[in-house]
Formats: sequence, C-alpha cells, structure tokens
Amino acid sequence: MPSLDPKNKTRDESAPNESVRNESVRNESASGSGTATHWRSLSDLVAQAEAAADGTGDGGGDAAVDAYLEQRIPDHDELFGDPLSRRRFMQIMGASVALSGAAGLTGCRWEEDHIIPESQRPEDYVPGVPKKYATSMSLGGAGYGLLVTAYDGRPIKVDGNPDHPNTGRGSTSFVQASLLELYDPDRSRVVERRRGRKPLPANWSDFDDAAVAWTQQHSATKGQGLRVLSEATTSPTILALRDELLRLYPQARWHEYEPLSRDNERAGTRIAFGRALRVQLQLAEARIIAAFDADLFGDHPDCLRLARDFATGRDPDENPTGMNRLYAVESGYSVTGGSADHRLPLRSELIKPFLMALEAKLQGGSPPPASKALADAKLQKFLSALAGDLIQNRGRSVIAVGPTQPPEVHALVARLNGLLGNSDTVVYTAEPDPDRPHHNDDIVQLASDMRKGAVDTLLILGGNPAYDAPADLDFAGALDQVDNSIHLSVYSDETSQACNWHVPRAHYLEAWGDTRTHDGTVTIAQPIVEPIFGGRSAIDVLKQFVGRGEEPAEHLVRAQILGAMGVTDPRPSEGEGAQEAHSRADTAWRRALHDGFAPRTAFATEKPQVQPFTLAPLTPTQGEARLKNGSLEVVFTVNTSTYDGRFANNAWLQEVPDFLTKMTWDNAALISPRTAADLGVKHEQMLEITLDGRALKVVAYVMPGQAPFSIALAVGQGRRRAGRVGGLVEEGIVPVGFDAYRLRSSKAPMVASGGNVRGLRDKYRLSLTVDHYNMDKIGQDGIAQRIPDLVREATLEDYKKPGYDINEEAHSEDIAILSNPTKADRANRSLFKEPRYDGYKWGMTTDLSKCTGCNACIIACQAENNIPVVGKEQVWRNREMHWLRIDRYFQGDPDDPRIAHQPVLCQQCENAPCEQVCPVGATLHSEEGLNDMAYNRCVGTRYCLNNCPYRVRRFNFLRWDWYKEMDEPRAQVRKLLFNPDVTVRSRGVMEKCTFCVQRIQNAKIQAKNNRVPIEDGVITTACQDACPTGAIVFGDLNDRRSRVAALHARPRAYAMLAELNARPRNVFLARIRNPHPELG
Amino acid sequence: MARFEFPEWTESFKKWVLLLAAGAPVYLLALWAYGLRPEAIRIGYQPKQPVPYSHALHVGELGLDCRYCHTTVERAAHAAVPPAQFCMNCHATIRTDSAALQPVRDSFASGAPIKWNRVHDLPDYVFFNHSAHVTRGVGCEECHGRIDLMEQVYQHAPLTMEWCLNCHRDPAPHLRPRELVTVMGYDPPGDRRELGRRLADNNKIAPPTNCSTCHR
Repeated sequence: MPSLDPKNKTRDESAPNESVRNESVRNESASGSGTATHWRSLSDLVAQAEAAADGTGDGGGDAAVDAYLEQRIPDHDELFGDPLSRRRFMQIMGASVALSGAAGLTGCRWEEDHIIPESQRPEDYVPGVPKKYATSMSLGGAGYGLLVTAYDGRPIKVDGNPDHPNTGRGSTSFVQASLLELYDPDRSRVVERRRGRKPLPANWSDFDDAAVAWTQQHSATKGQGLRVLSEATTSPTILALRDELLRLYPQARWHEYEPLSRDNERAGTRIAFGRALRVQLQLAEARIIAAFDADLFGDHPDCLRLARDFATGRDPDENPTGMNRLYAVESGYSVTGGSADHRLPLRSELIKPFLMALEAKLQGGSPPPASKALADAKLQKFLSALAGDLIQNRGRSVIAVGPTQPPEVHALVARLNGLLGNSDTVVYTAEPDPDRPHHNDDIVQLASDMRKGAVDTLLILGGNPAYDAPADLDFAGALDQVDNSIHLSVYSDETSQACNWHVPRAHYLEAWGDTRTHDGTVTIAQPIVEPIFGGRSAIDVLKQFVGRGEEPAEHLVRAQILGAMGVTDPRPSEGEGAQEAHSRADTAWRRALHDGFAPRTAFATEKPQVQPFTLAPLTPTQGEARLKNGSLEVVFTVNTSTYDGRFANNAWLQEVPDFLTKMTWDNAALISPRTAADLGVKHEQMLEITLDGRALKVVAYVMPGQAPFSIALAVGQGRRRAGRVGGLVEEGIVPVGFDAYRLRSSKAPMVASGGNVRGLRDKYRLSLTVDHYNMDKIGQDGIAQRIPDLVREATLEDYKKPGYDINEEAHSEDIAILSNPTKADRANRSLFKEPRYDGYKWGMTTDLSKCTGCNACIIACQAENNIPVVGKEQVWRNREMHWLRIDRYFQGDPDDPRIAHQPVLCQQCENAPCEQVCPVGATLHSEEGLNDMAYNRCVGTRYCLNNCPYRVRRFNFLRWDWYKEMDEPRAQVRKLLFNPDVTVRSRGVMEKCTFCVQRIQNAKIQAKNNRVPIEDGVITTACQDACPTGAIVFGDLNDRRSRVAALHARPRAYAMLAELNARPRNVFLARIRNPHPELG
Repeated sequence: MARFEFPEWTESFKKWVLLLAAGAPVYLLALWAYGLRPEAIRIGYQPKQPVPYSHALHVGELGLDCRYCHTTVERAAHAAVPPAQFCMNCHATIRTDSAALQPVRDSFASGAPIKWNRVHDLPDYVFFNHSAHVTRGVGCEECHGRIDLMEQVYQHAPLTMEWCLNCHRDPAPHLRPRELVTVMGYDPPGDRRELGRRLADNNKIAPPTNCSTCHR
C-alpha cells in the first residue's frame, strides 16, 4: 500500500533552471511571437516554449516534456485502496451465478425488497413526489434566502429562492454544499463533558441541570462572569434573546467574533460619516465599476445580487446604451478580477497610495506620486484611464473596497464616491447593531478577560475560536482559565475539545431561526427535518438561559417575524376581537413562511454626507516599489473550499477545484512568478513562512497574476479535528492543507507585513485539475492554437460593427456555417439522412460574458446527480468526477495575465462521437436530441471517453470512498443524501451530464398527465438554478418564444469545435470585453 | 497391465447409460437456462405478507376500486401501498376482533409501519412512472393481471425490458378508455387492436422508446 501522506512524495527534478526559462517564455508571449496566445498553467507555458525552442515536431528526446508527461500519465498498477481487480471480480461473480443457478430456481431471484408506508399518511403528502420549502442560511452573518427540495421528508437539494427580493434564484458554492454537512456521519451526536481533556459520559438532561445551576449562580451575581461568544449573526430572534439576557444579567457581556470579519467597513464609515453604516452597491446603475481588493462576486455577503446586477449590465445585446466596464485592482486573483475588463495586480498595502493618487487626479491636480511604487508606467496608464472613465461617468460609477483593507481606506473610498457624486450607485443603510465592537477587538478583549480569570461561564455559540482566533491570543490556553466553557457546534472540533461542555448543534436545515440578508430583508429559516442527531440550535440553548426553556423556538421566531412585519399577535383567548387578530396574524405568518421572508423589511437607504478626516501617513513599506525577503506582505484570504475552515469536512467543497488555481484538497501560499524567481522558490516546493515570530510550513504555488511581493495565504485548512474528511489527528487522519491561522496575529489579521520566506528541500504534490487530458506535444500545440477558437472573445467595439458574426474568423466557410447553430440547420450539408426533431428539441446556452467562475454550478450538479467524491489521490490521477468543469486559460504576461474561462459540460451533440463507438449501445440518442446514458449496459470500454472531443465523460474507476463507508453503521445516514430520481452509479460505468434528464422527464410526464404544454422556464437544469448571473439557459429550441432559441440566434453564439460536425446542442455566447481605448 | 472389462450384467443397460451420460448435461443445461429465464423466475413470485390481505375479497367480492387504496397512481410515479389508516377506515368497526388484522391495528395505534414484501420489483436503475401509464389508458390488469382473483398477490407478468418494449412499440392492443383502467376482466366488443389504435390516435399516445424514458 503506497504511503498516503503526500508530503512524503518526492519528485525527480529533471527540468533545468526554470527561472531562466520563465524569462524567455515571458518575453516570447509578451511579444506575441506567433505561437499560441492562451496557456493553462506555467508548466503549460514552459512546455510550449520548449516546443517552440526545440523545433522538433515530436516529443521524443525532449527531457522536460517527457518528465511532464510522466507526471500526467502515472502508472496504473496500484489501484488505490481496492484490492479487488476487475478480472477477479468477474471470476467471483461467475462462480456465484453458477452456484445460485444450481441451488434452486426460486432462489435465483435477487434479494427481497420491502415497501414500508407510513402508518398514517399526512394530508397532501404523495410518496416520491418532492416538496419545496423556503428557508434560509447564514454564513458569517450574511443571510441567503433558500428553497430546499425535500423528498419524503428529507432535504436533498438546496437552491436559491427565486422569490426572495435580495438573493434571488442563484446560490453560492457554500450554499449548495451545505446539504452535505447535514448528512455528515462525523457530526457530533452526543453531549460531551470534559474534565481536563478527558471526555466523560453525559447527556442532555445533565446539560439542562447544569444550565439551571448556572442561571441560578449568575442571577445572584447579576451576570458577573457570564460571557457569550457568538459568531456573526443578524438573526432578529437571537439578537432579541441577547437583549433579554443582558437585561436579566446586566454584568454579563456578549461578544461576537468572525475570523473573516467585514468590520473594517463599519469602522471606515464611522470615520467618514460619524456613524457605522453599511454600503449597498447598486451595480445595475453603474457604468464604471472599480473594485479594490474587493471580490464582489466571490466573497461578499451580497455577492448574489451583485453578480446578477453586474451581469445585466454586461450583456451587449440587451444594453443598447452601453455595457459597463469593470476595473479590478487587487493583490490576489479573484473571480472579480477574472471578470474584469482591466486588472492591475497590486499588493494590498499599496492600494491606499493608489487611491490617494486617484483622488488627486479626480480633483484635477497631478501631484507627484506619494509612493515610489506608483512610479511604474503601466500603473500610471491604468490610473489615468480609470480616472478618465470615472470623471466621464460621474454619478454612474461605483468604487468598491474589500474587507482586508484598513478602515481608513474604506473611509477614503466613501470620500471618493462622494466626490464623484455616486449617490445613486453607492447607497448606505444604517447598521442594525452600530455599537457592537469590532470583531477583532472583541475577541482580544474576551481573551484578555479570560486570562485574568474574570470569566466563569463562557457560552460559545458556533464558531471555532480555538482554531481560528488570532494565534497570539492562544484562545485554547485561555479556555483553561474559564470554570465552565460550553461549546455549541455541529462538529466536536478543536474548540469543543478545549471546553468543559460540548453540545451538538442542529444544522440550519433542522432548526427554526431567522436571518437578515445584506439589504436587511428578514428571512425565515424553517426546519425541513427533525434534528437527525438530536442537536439543538443556538436559539434553543439561549432561551434556556433567559427562562424561556419551555417555549418552542418556533414561537420565538414567529413573534420576531410578525413584529418585523408590524402585525400584532394577541393570544386567541383574549376575547372576540383578539380571535380575529390572531387568525390574521396566523395568515400573515403562514404567508411569510411560505414565501420565506417578511416582505418590505429591508433597511431604509440613506445618502449621507462625508465629513472631513485626514489619513494617516504612509508606512515605510508603502513607499517601496520592491520589498525584500523579510518584509514581504502576507494577505490572509478566504478559502474558496472551506470559507474560514468551517467546511473543512465537506468533501464536495474540498474537491471542487478553485476557479483560479484549480487546486483541490489543499491550500497554498500563492506567489507571483517574478517574486518566486527572486526568492528562488519553485512551484510545489515547500516553504517556511515566518511572520512576527511565528512560522508555518506551507507549499508554494506560483500563481500568474499574483501581485509581486505579496503572498496570499488562504486560511481554513490544516484542521486537526474536523472529521474524517478534513483531518482528525487523534485517529491518524492527516489534515488537509496547511493551517494559516497559526501565522495570524490580532495586530494584523488581514494584511500583515514583514513576512520572510525560506525555501525548503521538500516537494509537495498538489492535485490540480488543470493540465488534465493533455497529450503529446503535437496535441499540446494544436490545443494551444485552438484555444482562441474554443473560448471566443471580442471587444465591444468589434461586436458593435454591423454584420458582425463571431464565426467569421473560422478558417473555412463550411466551418463558419457549422459553427453557427441556426445556419447549420438551414444549410443541412450532411450526406446522411439527418433525423428531424419535431417534438421537443432540448438545447442550452452558456454565456461567457456572464459566467464569473463561482463554482456553484459544479456543486449543484454534484448534489443533483449523486456524483461521488474521489479524494485527493484520484484527482491527481485525473479521475475527478465532476460532470461540469470550468476551464480557465491565461493570456499574456505571466505576471499580469488576463483570464478566459469556459464552463464545459456534455454538449449533447446531435452527431455524437461517443455514440458511434460504444460497442454495447449504452449511449444512444433520444428523439429530443439528448445523448442518453444507460448505465446498466455500460461494460467499461471507455471508448466513448476517448472519442469525445470535449472530454466531458467521466468514468467510475473505483467504488469511491463513500461506498466503502456505507458498510459502516454510523455512515448509513449518508444514504439519505441521494437524489432518488437519479441512478447511483457503481464501479466500471461511464457517466456524463444528462441535461438533468430526470427533471425533463418528470416535467414531461406531469405536463402530459395534465394535458398542458411545457412553458419555457418550467424545466431548469441544476446548474441553471444555481447560477446567480443567469449565464446558463436551458430550454426547448423548437419553442420559438423560448429564451434559449433567442440566444442561439445571437451573433455571438458559437458552437465549440464545430468543424468536427458533432453539432452540439450547447452553444456558447462569446465573451465581449469592454476595454478602455487607451488600455486596449 | 490388465485391461479393465465391464462385467456381463452391465450389457443390458449400456445404451441407457450412454444415453444418460449424453443427455444429462444437455438436460441440466436446458433446465438451468430455461429456469433462469425471467418468465420462469419472475412470473408467479408470491412472497408471504405480514398481513394476509386478500384482493380477491376486497376488490373481487366487495368491489373496491384500485384507486381507493392506491390513491396516488394517477398523480405520481409510485402507486403507493396504503397506510394502515386507509384500512382502519372500515376496519375500525368491521372485524374488530380478527387476529389477522392485529398488525394493522397495532400499526395504526403505535405509528410503526407495516413491512410489506414487494412483489413487483424493478431494478434500481429503472424509473417507472405509474401516472404516465394510468392516465393514458393502460389498464391495471395489463401489467398486474387479475388482481381481483388473487387471494395473495403474485407477479403476473415478467416485467422485463423486452416485455415493456413490446408494448411501447405496439401499444394498441393494451389500451382502453381512460375511465376503464381499473376494470378487471376488460373485454370490449369488436377488435381490441382497432379500438386501441383509435384511442392512440385520438389521445396522441406515442410511447417513447429512448433510453432516458426509463433510465436516468
């Protein structure tokens, strides 16, 4: 059995000095020497450059490429973790069939199945028919309005609630994956009690008794020594319980902490306006959007609405007055940077001098730059273009800044927006809890109080401060000074281990609650299922402390919702008039519960005036263009897989490849190519990063587009007690990734200065999904040259020219016609008798202008179609199972590249190459144009995968981990997760995107039963539902009024690899960029 | 070495032995092959049920319509086996002392379900939808046989893919007017096939034969 610890693997270093190579490569691609313009990763670029330099036509004799191929096509002898090979399996099965045949004929039937109906069926319940319920989820205080699909009383899919006024129909990858957490066998099931670190047996009644004792103790002391540490919450019910708690115990204190805090914004608005306000960006009204270290579409509580609004301004066909233009200035590459028309990599601390220079330009002056770092010519050009655009579009622009920037930068941005008159595009709403201290200050205060011995009882509601609190506070050590520490959490994690009590928390799908979305709309969370493991919610625990232990949480939430709607709710016993009022309240409540939110409860918007303030002087490093090792910038970023670490045990999120780095099951220190060359550090090399006396060993990832001298470190991995997926050191399960929290101090929790990098000798193998399916050198060349054809783009100027056709650039007229889906139909140049599609003709469009790369569609597909998780090792072997992938290509200078990306799923070709080669007829074409897959017929030849030019088929090489787990009794809960409408595939079977055929069939059957036609928009695929921007549209092409038919006819619609005459039903809408004329 | 010679008395049945030696493998093979055909294995499958519910009594003699108990058959994929609640609609007052009904009464009182043994079982990768068939005029007895004559339900049809496709390719002989789907012993006057053809034309019944119809 090979060692599972990836850190032990070493790799032969056969590639010659890479820094020299990178230099020549950079020169070549910058000058556009006629080789390919797109590249997928730095090693891709290296291989291409070598190919060009070599001049030989084949791969033979080129050592670097050989080594590269050797890495990509590993030997197959070791079947990871599965001792049973296919041949042996057939032998055993053959024997058992013979035995069963001889034994007796009635014994030949498969095992008995049972039908277990309810004893009493609830009204309106039809077994096997899904029901949808509105609920909501909270992540870092941000609320999301959700619609959950439940089958037979168990939730199997989470989507956005299309009726919600703020978040709407889309969802984020975290929302989609939150379902897996509900059925996680590693969830805590029992109350734990600890003396020292040893757990003692305990149950809920022990906890209830203890709670009574604590409340009595603290009533006597008026709450002296009672503290509550909560994660960020906007829940009206919890905040009301908090207020009640503080009234009952005046000396108690409520602390709030969030490791990825957004509080710098409130601190900033306090500087700018004198009070804490929340920024509400109205991107739909904006022509120019400038994002400074702000990942608006990826890491923002309002990201769904922002992405949607941005996309409406992005469609060149539906915006006759003009498209918007997005500038991004950031230290790390984000999805916002990927969607930007212009991007400037700039380390985070330089954003303040940049904005100061921008302010000077906007005010008409042109003083010398305050920082030498701004003296760069390219930067100055960017700055003047941006300033020019902003001046020209006064009142219709947005300047946004991210949470890692210090408060005074937020204030500066508020001042700039005021200067530009952006009172319609940047509005403010009052913060609902303005007096709350900054998260960072709060945790520092609490830790200090704990060490002083001032805390007797500490109730920690959610969160994981022992893991994610700033490392200099040593929160776990401080917990030893607390007499009674109670941790309410979904998993028994690092903090639970350090506390006296751990009580299992109910998942948000199991409990009553509420939240507020970013705009303030009060959104209701209702339970879809009873707590599977008997957990309790934060509301349940809190109400015990205020003497409301007997009142159900539902009543408390109901009271808050009715209050928010302004509806009084008298008890029905209070006389005649009260009866009526109560039933009116009841109706209002049921309506709100059905819709999922309380209408018209958004915060009132304001347009305040900026008051004068001065900025602090620049620090010494802010004046430098170049930084030396030892004074490097380290930026702690959100982890797109685990957020802040809470999803470390979520296999779906761990396995989804990060959009920019394509990394799975890991995190890394992202370093720009130039800085890596300066430091002598290579890709996949282990480093030791030292910051302020603390050290961390982490792998290096050389990331094109990362700002020089700035290292991006995603937090949220390296967890010691996450579970069997994320890391469980006490059971020998190696933690995934590296714990960046160990470097964080409370003095610089977001952006730190003074980092030192030391390269180590070890190598670390990363499982990246980029560069998969990459074959020989000729193939590589061909692919690279073909990429501009696959991912097509145009500028707005070109697009607006009359008679523009994206397919014009194709090399022959035939290809031009085949590329254009409507023209191809009319031309009908085939020699064969083509089938006619007179009934439904399913098709899809994917709009590359609108796709931001958020990854929500990938996880939605995984949830809907029972797609297994394969694990880090198998991803490295190119065996990831996602039916939908997002290809990401870089263009241009490795230190400052542009990104082109493309979500690719099964193109459902009318002339499918895969159908033609299946020897057993497992994949056939339906009358509606779908490429059907009959899993039971597949024998595993994999010829279809080989023949697919789009490489969209996935083969189940092994029985994946979750199957083996199913044999364990404690893992049986995982079975509840499966979508019953989709076959669960086993080993040896091919699968691929089916356009959610189960949804199509169900809709067709329902429609035909009721004898009504299917309207456009009734059938939506899972990816379409998840996409917040509406980039994916599915429908019936034969329905002339359908949106998809209209989109197929757009001038920027093209089919990928059309010259192969596969006639795909999925058509891409080319990305239209809107560059500034000076920047090009 | 001496050559082995069979004794004299074996002479009389030598040819029978040879016949047996030649024929037995063929016979056993045929038995195995024919025995493992779906028509042999599946038709007639009659598992024992926890409650000896007799369709012959309730449907045949008393005249209950299929849909009285299997209420979801026109709306959903599953023709759901009824909960104990439906039984108690009558049996709260009828046969209240019957020992055979004790599991039903217990289930209704305690909320614990009755564990029926499934008779008509399709593989997990097949997704059959009752409503699509019942609302088009495919009678219950076409697939389930004369339930009204079964004391204990047995499987009447092989329910193999071949058997399903035979009807999908040629539905006319199996169609009837929609309101008569639950009639047992349906025997219309005239040519059944012609009647079915007209029904198919009028109601636009064109059963699909692509894979995704049943395999998702």
